[in-house]
Amino acid sequence: MFESLQYLATGFTIAGTVQNLLYCLIGAIVGTLIGVLPGIGPIAGIALLIPATFGLNPTSAIIMLAGIYYGAMYGGSTTSILLNVPGETASVITCIDGYQMAQKGRAGPALAICAIGSFIAGTIGLFGLVFLAPPLAEAALAFGPPEYFSLMIFGFIVLSNVTGTSLLKALMMATVGLIIGTIGLDPVTGDARFVFGSTYLLGGIEFVAVAIGLFGIGEVLTNVQQPQELLEQKVTIPRFRDLYPSLQDLKKSIASILRGAGIGFGVGLVPGPAPVIATYASYMIERKISKHPEEFGKGAIEGVAGPESANNSACQSAFIPLFVLGIPFAPPTAILLGALLIHGVSPGPLLISQHPGLFWGVIASMYIGNFILLILNLPFVPLFANILRIPKKILLPLVILFCITGMYTVNNSIPDIWVMLLFGALGFLMRKWAYEGAPLLLALVLGPRLEIAFRQSLMISHGDFGIFINRPISMVFLLATVLFLIIPLIRMTLKKQRKEG
Amino acid sequence: MKILKRDEAIVGVVIFLFGAITTFLSLKMPIGTLRMAGTGFFPLCLGILLMILSAAYVFRLFVQYKKIVIQKETAVKTPGAMRQMGLFLGAMVLATLFFNELGYPLTSFLLMAALLRSLGMKRWAFNILLSFITAGVSYFLFVQWLKIPLPKGWIGL
Repeated sequence: MFESLQYLATGFTIAGTVQNLLYCLIGAIVGTLIGVLPGIGPIAGIALLIPATFGLNPTSAIIMLAGIYYGAMYGGSTTSILLNVPGETASVITCIDGYQMAQKGRAGPALAICAIGSFIAGTIGLFGLVFLAPPLAEAALAFGPPEYFSLMIFGFIVLSNVTGTSLLKALMMATVGLIIGTIGLDPVTGDARFVFGSTYLLGGIEFVAVAIGLFGIGEVLTNVQQPQELLEQKVTIPRFRDLYPSLQDLKKSIASILRGAGIGFGVGLVPGPAPVIATYASYMIERKISKHPEEFGKGAIEGVAGPESANNSACQSAFIPLFVLGIPFAPPTAILLGALLIHGVSPGPLLISQHPGLFWGVIASMYIGNFILLILNLPFVPLFANILRIPKKILLPLVILFCITGMYTVNNSIPDIWVMLLFGALGFLMRKWAYEGAPLLLALVLGPRLEIAFRQSLMISHGDFGIFINRPISMVFLLATVLFLIIPLIRMTLKKQRKEG
Repeated sequence: MKILKRDEAIVGVVIFLFGAITTFLSLKMPIGTLRMAGTGFFPLCLGILLMILSAAYVFRLFVQYKKIVIQKETAVKTPGAMRQMGLFLGAMVLATLFFNELGYPLTSFLLMAALLRSLGMKRWAFNILLSFITAGVSYFLFVQWLKIPLPKGWIGL
């Protein structure tokens, strides 16, 4: 433990040089801007800026790229809260309560709690990274296809329980998302499925198009059909003293932040899109343990604080499998792996001994980066919150322009814009009939991984479904899934009996 | 007593049909065995699952409601709102259709002008000025600063 602290101190010396501080600052600023622009998420952001790091030494390059990563994750929450447009996947859940808070004139506290929660979660994540990296990385290795499959099933049920009012509707949407996720090449055999002769569909349905369509365009279309007088109206304008969270807001949020940080750190070690799962799991837990679960979905600050902290914490712990095992479990860390290889660094068990400066320097820079983000973003809260002063009849066309531009920049593809518009219309209809978009979106992301895990598990067991209950970790997840399905039913029955009694 | 809305039941049936089509198309692919699942196995399972879920949903709609009154969704949208929606959607579709030919700066200018107009921005001078400024700022942000390759179109910008 003492040795780790010594190494961390060395890391701070490396990250604290003027040059590295500057790159960390640039990364955090550029990342925030990228996150704020809908469509250009951390993946596209890091990919676009890798060439800019060619002239730098590996440590400075990774410090800057890591800064873009967590800066974008923070920036993504800003558009979620203000415009209901998730800048990246992990911000989808922030839309639920963050946007509702903004509609009630509480965009400032929502944005500020994101920055504060992210910083606290970042601090916890840093210590977790330093002290728990080696043993936790080993634990993550115990996850095989059956465990992974059960974990994802658990995630779906959890998500379906937390979103909307009808479990059946949420499960239907998750299944529709999984079906859409099967479009393209079979991840195991490489055969084409549901492509109807289109080369575009071979690559599958672009996730960003679905996300922006369902949430961004869908929301805009819902607004457009409102009468003229409503379009002239501005969203409730926050007073200056309402721009920052009150003491009561902080009191309400602190436990959620700490829980979110813990959940995010744990989930970040598991293969898969960790920040997405972490945010959903955190939201679900916050709603389950809240004394006022009915406030969730209507602007509960805990519904923003918990998931945003989980998001940040998961981003940090996702560096453990990347650095220690050389295995990226999420797309942004996969791009970072590419950047490391470009700079001649091979991540793996020998990274810490061969490149201690890089490993500890990057870890220390993450903490500095989180601090920079807090300092940068808190003063900008009023500026961001005031975006809502723009009348809807001007704001809505602006959102559409940014959505179309952002969508095109992801793959330089016009068909992606068509898909976005199609899902925009679907999102509009789903809102009309009270169907949630979040389960569909998560299913679309996790679908291919779920299928691979499912088919690999059956291959391992020679077609025996017992593999999912014979392995302890998998069984625990499945048991938890069953409990999540049964408990609400038991509660409902008891309530009914009490009423009748 | 609750009223069964016809639209809710229709949506349930549409989702059921989506599941049925998925199942039908999956059956045309190799299904394989449990030991070695084929390409169609996973979507087949999903199609069947969706059919079960949507059937349960529609069934519940009919069973749960004590008094079944088939009620058609009342049309609350005024003709003006529908026209506004049509113009808004039309502008987005046209912009996407001619994005490559017109190029980014011109498309963004025309799209903004059309969207603002469709939302009732009657003063043309203000509309054009705002569209011009927005198109200019987004052009400098995405093309000049972020160096993102957006369509140049025939104006070559």
